[in-house]
Amino acid sequence: MNRRAFLQGLSGLAAGASLPYEIFADPVPQFSPGFRLFDVTAAAGIHFRHNSGAFGGKLLPETLGAGCAFLDYDSDGWQDILLINGMDWPGHKRQRSTLRLYRNNRNGTFSDVTKTAGLDVEMYGMGVAVGDYNNDGHPDILVTCVGQNRLFKNTGKGSFVDVTKASGLGNRQAFSTSAIWFDFDRDGRLDLFVCNYVKWSPEHDVFCSPDGKRKSYCTPEAYRGETCWLFHNRGDGTFEDVTANSGIFDSSSKSLGVAMLDYEPDGWPELLVANDTQPNKLYRNQRNGTFKDVAVDVGIAFSAEGKARAGMGVDVADFDNSGISGVAITNFDNEMIGLYRFAAGNYQDVATQSGVGLPSKTTLGFGCVFLDADLNGALDLAVVNGHIDDTVRNVRGVGYAQPPQLFLNDGKGTFRDVASEIGGEFAAPKVGRGLAYGDFDRDGDLDLLMTTNDGPAYLFRNDQSGGNKSIRIRLIGTKSNRDAIGAVVKIYYGGATQSRLVRGGSSYLSQSELPVTFGVGKRDKIDRLLVQWPSGRTEDFKDVASGHGYECVESKGITALSGF
Amino acid sequence: MPALPRQRKSPTVALFVGLIVTLAAVVAYSGYITRQISGLRALQNNLVDRNRKDSLQLLRIQNDLNSLALAMRDMLDNTEPYPLTAWSAQFQRVRADLDDALRREEQVAVADRTPEQRQYLANSVAQFWDAVDRTFALARDGKQDEARTQIQLSLQARQAVLSTAVARLLVQNNESEEQAAQKIAGIYGRVQRQVYLFLTATLLAILLTSLYLIRSNRQLFAQLAMLSEQRSELAQKLISTQESTLRHISRELHDEFGQILTAVGSMLTRARNHAPQGSPLRTELREVCEIAQGTLDRVRSLSQALHPVMLDESGLEATLDWYLPVVERQSGIHISYEKSGEPFRVDGNAAIHVYRVLQEALNNVTRHSGANEAWVRLRFLAEALEVEVEDHGAGFKVQKATQGIGLVAMRERAELLASRIEFTSPSQGGVLVRLRVPREELIAHAG
Repeated sequence: MNRRAFLQGLSGLAAGASLPYEIFADPVPQFSPGFRLFDVTAAAGIHFRHNSGAFGGKLLPETLGAGCAFLDYDSDGWQDILLINGMDWPGHKRQRSTLRLYRNNRNGTFSDVTKTAGLDVEMYGMGVAVGDYNNDGHPDILVTCVGQNRLFKNTGKGSFVDVTKASGLGNRQAFSTSAIWFDFDRDGRLDLFVCNYVKWSPEHDVFCSPDGKRKSYCTPEAYRGETCWLFHNRGDGTFEDVTANSGIFDSSSKSLGVAMLDYEPDGWPELLVANDTQPNKLYRNQRNGTFKDVAVDVGIAFSAEGKARAGMGVDVADFDNSGISGVAITNFDNEMIGLYRFAAGNYQDVATQSGVGLPSKTTLGFGCVFLDADLNGALDLAVVNGHIDDTVRNVRGVGYAQPPQLFLNDGKGTFRDVASEIGGEFAAPKVGRGLAYGDFDRDGDLDLLMTTNDGPAYLFRNDQSGGNKSIRIRLIGTKSNRDAIGAVVKIYYGGATQSRLVRGGSSYLSQSELPVTFGVGKRDKIDRLLVQWPSGRTEDFKDVASGHGYECVESKGITALSGF
Repeated sequence: MPALPRQRKSPTVALFVGLIVTLAAVVAYSGYITRQISGLRALQNNLVDRNRKDSLQLLRIQNDLNSLALAMRDMLDNTEPYPLTAWSAQFQRVRADLDDALRREEQVAVADRTPEQRQYLANSVAQFWDAVDRTFALARDGKQDEARTQIQLSLQARQAVLSTAVARLLVQNNESEEQAAQKIAGIYGRVQRQVYLFLTATLLAILLTSLYLIRSNRQLFAQLAMLSEQRSELAQKLISTQESTLRHISRELHDEFGQILTAVGSMLTRARNHAPQGSPLRTELREVCEIAQGTLDRVRSLSQALHPVMLDESGLEATLDWYLPVVERQSGIHISYEKSGEPFRVDGNAAIHVYRVLQEALNNVTRHSGANEAWVRLRFLAEALEVEVEDHGAGFKVQKATQGIGLVAMRERAELLASRIEFTSPSQGGVLVRLRVPREELIAHAG
């Protein structure tokens, strides 16, 4: 037995001494995170720079950045990359900037296929939601914008066509932010939820100033809220706006982030919306096509002090392996991240006691994702930070560029920021905005994709050093929506359980890959794998080997891939 | 002899009365402060805290009303692609919060809220929601324009009325809070004044008591000093009387009885010589003559013991030279006698007192120490005469417990000579008595 194995054995014994929560994870010794993140952006051939259009006019959208996504647009099993971009404001044209689609060359590099994919379109893009809304096996893209959002349908031939108008999503001008595909009525077709921030247009920009002379970026209080939108997929390539009838309509919302969850859990997806300076919304699915906001009732609308925080990004996942999704919401500086566990019918903010609160006290968080970065069986939390005001140091004493954070979950309810221990490139201060995860190199662990405001995008490759293994499952719905969004996958081994919800959206303006990844430590196999499809079907598989990827087709069983 | 001091009244009663008065003042003041604090707490609980809670709920109500006003403005803007019914859920959410806020506000509403005010608020809210329901009913019937008109004509006006009513209540709460603040300031002012008053009274009481105690102490000490002086004078007179009596008796014994016995002895001697040789009479006269001679010796010895004439005639040093062998012979205690220094003459009362102290010290040795050896040291110092009597016997405690007035007399005599007398214990045990008489005192008491 070598030293590492001996120490891990000791940790395992310590974990086993305080059941039941701890047994779900194989804690990694604190001195070794067990993995490193390497900046491979340039090596991978990604040369992207976000254009906020800032020219000195201090227009509100310039502060918010843009999102990113991992998607397999060519359905070859390798995750491609989509980076959203802004553009110059009318009358201040200096350059042409478009979103960028990078195809995975399957060798650690990417090729810019934006033009051939038909995405070489200028728009003031904000967020992205990827989903196969027409169930044709090819992921489609919704880009949220300042102005008109765009829906790009995947032709299946390596290109996209703009179907915004044809789908019924045209003729809508707004300041849209995050979006999410999900099947709220469980009819097997993905519906669309779009967050809108505030009623803003360049013509109605408000003059805000700290000294009455110099214009600065306004806070959202200066603008009226804007309702989010819910579009029902009719199944014929068009969408019906059900915002009003579904109870989603709320003209006071100032929404930036959205995530899907099933906290009840009854198979009917709920929505959690992070609002900026307004109460967060938790739309409970009433199973009849309508939603009811229960955020106040379950304790997630306000901070513990009763204050509506500046919610930015949001992600949901079963980070405590309790079977019910917990929630992370990034907030403004001096407000801490909100980290919520569901207990006794309510969400309770455990940020402070879990170790996430204090390190996030002085950071302004945007993108956030739960992922098992060290594959030890406990979901960790990655967060990107960065202020909205480049003169903030003069006013508030915090940096404009701020280090990202990676809170490693020790499996006992405590998180520790290990960003500085997993590679200096990751921990270097950035004006972070979007964040997504995906296994672009198919080595079984999760890599990170990050965007910055008016700056480059970053691709960080995750290299494991602790010897932990994983199981990855890609679900394909037949009766359910083809992306299987809303499906729950659970694995069982040695008395422990982990669960993942297949979900789009989340984080901030971004979307992670759809396959789910389970870290299982050193185990060679798990006892059981359970899939609960959105259609209501449940499938059970025994003795699944780790170290592999799997493709699971609804009603047709599971197929092991060679590698991941 | 000075007159005896007048019997003074004990200060205990006065001090006891003062203590009772002080304690009563403290109790009274504590009661007063407790009452004031209770009043303050009641004021804060019943008015200030309640007022604050009420204001928070009123602000929440005002916030809800503002949200409704913003929603109504959006409805009238007609910029959304949705029918007015879309706002229904938003209104219901605000209504739920508003109802909860109103219910809580009712619970914590300040006591001086009139029933008319309560009724007015309730009616205004009811009328507002009635108008809202009618507006959404029109919207549901597809009468969008009529609904918008209803919003403009009725809803906005009722919202404004409600908002004004809540604002008025907030102002009223603010006024109540200001009044409460004034009351609290008044209580603090009164308490402050009382604290100053109490402190002043307490300081005054402490001052008077202290002055009274100082005065009593001074009188007591003066009285003690006078008594001590009187006692000392009395002791000196007693000693003086004793000495003169002893001197008189000694002289009488020596001069009168000595002469008589000497004459009797001479006459008996002559009578014996006239009696025939070998006759019984001659034998008896010889025996009587011997008895008379023995009596004469004892009278002379007693006379010397009562007051050595040698003191008057030869001084202290010569008297001690004679006296110490006598004591040694009579007591059987070996006395080591040391003299040092340049001798000077000590006589008069000074010699008598030094002699009596030494005599008493040796008496203690013979009677109480149990020792068979003693040391007497006579030191003629430049500035003083020092006499020491030392034994290694039973020690000071035993002697002190068994002897009577002797020690007191020794101290008195030392005091008469303004000298220092010490009683110490040598390392070998026993007692060392040391008398040190300044030369000037010896001279002063030489007459």
